[in-house]
Amino acid sequence: MDKRMTALFHLLQYSDATFPVGTFSFSNGLETASYEKLVHDAPTLEQYARSAARQAAFSDGVAALKAYRSCKAGDYNAIREIDSRLMLFKMNDEARLMLKRMGKKLAELASRIFTSEILRQWLSDIESDLTPGSYPVAQGIVFALSDLGEEDLYVSHQYGVINMILGAALRCVRVSHYDTQEILFRLAAETPDLYDEARDMDFGDMNCFVPEMDILASLHEKGSMRMFMS
Amino acid sequence: MFNKDLQLHYSDSPEVDFSAAREMKPYLEEPKAMYVGAPGKRGYLNLGFELDTDGKSILRELDRRAPLIVQQELYFDEKLPGMPCVYILSSGGPNIDGDRYMQNITVGRGAMAWVSTGAATKLAGMKYNYSGMIQNIVLEQDAYLEFLPEPIIPHASTRFICDTRMCVDPTATVLYSEIYMGGRKYYNGGELFKFDILSVCSHGERPDGEQLFREKFIIRPDGGHIRDCGVMGKYDIFANVIVMTPPDKAEEIYKRTDAYIDRSRHLAAGVTHLPNGAGLLFKVLGMEPGPVKAAVREFASGVRMAIKGVPLPEEFPWR
Repeated sequence: MDKRMTALFHLLQYSDATFPVGTFSFSNGLETASYEKLVHDAPTLEQYARSAARQAAFSDGVAALKAYRSCKAGDYNAIREIDSRLMLFKMNDEARLMLKRMGKKLAELASRIFTSEILRQWLSDIESDLTPGSYPVAQGIVFALSDLGEEDLYVSHQYGVINMILGAALRCVRVSHYDTQEILFRLAAETPDLYDEARDMDFGDMNCFVPEMDILASLHEKGSMRMFMS
Repeated sequence: MFNKDLQLHYSDSPEVDFSAAREMKPYLEEPKAMYVGAPGKRGYLNLGFELDTDGKSILRELDRRAPLIVQQELYFDEKLPGMPCVYILSSGGPNIDGDRYMQNITVGRGAMAWVSTGAATKLAGMKYNYSGMIQNIVLEQDAYLEFLPEPIIPHASTRFICDTRMCVDPTATVLYSEIYMGGRKYYNGGELFKFDILSVCSHGERPDGEQLFREKFIIRPDGGHIRDCGVMGKYDIFANVIVMTPPDKAEEIYKRTDAYIDRSRHLAAGVTHLPNGAGLLFKVLGMEPGPVKAAVREFASGVRMAIKGVPLPEEFPWR
């Protein structure tokens, strides 16, 4: 019981919005969506947050689960492969930048907490530019080292994606804290189905379809608005 | 110049195998009419463009199985009169339940080609199985290919899977476009997003096997999220255009391409860089095929200008 309580404590710690991996710097296109008045109230924000969650569910979420299992199996080469396969799937510069920056920060932080050969090698390879060092893969490693389950990992991954959008929304969309918390509460109910679908996916199954978000990312990339880095 | 694996299949149309695609597993019942793989339901096309001894780009290899038809190359592009142009036709009309197609296009060293379809590709409603297509696009050194087909129209209850592999030399350029309509917008009171599933995967690699990018989308409109903000929103049509080209050309095209949301034309477009310096990805959302096709052609014209120094000609009035 003590062990589980400690693990739960760590789950809350890794999922906290103040966990220092730079989440607050990114909006996943919301800054542009707000400027273009596509997201302008709580219902449109909920749709946008759901789109972001589903986009990540079958790509980043799958990579995180595979990294978790590979770390548990002590298979470092598999972790490297997952990292490169995920980056093949990231179709815009800002998305790649976000995953790499957050991934490196998490690897640096984790290396101060854990003594692990896999983690040491991982951080070394990121610093030597031998691997991109994406955030979902780092999440998988950290959860595997923390005696947390893969369901815990998937929940934290989805929570992180949604909360990033909602946190950014408080700074650029006319919504209240009450609105964002209600959205978060409702979207939580959708995570189990996403996990059921993602848990057995392989690389070839990874998919996402968010063309409007892709175009918003391009507008941000080519534009001059810079409250957020994406 | 041709891939030996493809040549092995010259005497028969090859297997089009999607058994690893878990998203199609609910649709594996044998059609009650013609079985999967029956003659006329397993189309095959192998096109090989290369330079002849005079340095002219020609269609050197042409192998086909019904219902896919290519007759011969024509040289009708006023801006690039030396470029062979080919229309892919289907004698079967729409893709129907259990159809399997394979299309291979190879453009040899220094050659160029333009490939399109004669009309929109209709995906008929299906009850038992699905329709699938595998495409292999191979470009050798300094080759150039524009693949600009007419839109794809998924009817209600259709199921379609497509896998496109592009193996491109670092010096070559391919422009590969796809336009998907949400459905038959004005048929029977409107059939937008009534299909069962579209699964579309495009991936790029170098001749040495280095993987560059992989994009896959699976659309199941019955999930209820297709109209969500961030997905299709209020738009009915989307276009996806992949350009694999050397980095300096990609940068030139990127700079001259605007990203925009144009409310008066009900059109939105964006461009970004593919991973691993592979090139660019251009996306368009719109309400009607005409403006979306025009946006894709405008972008394609910019690509041609960067690579060949000339724009696309004006579109034929009947297209």
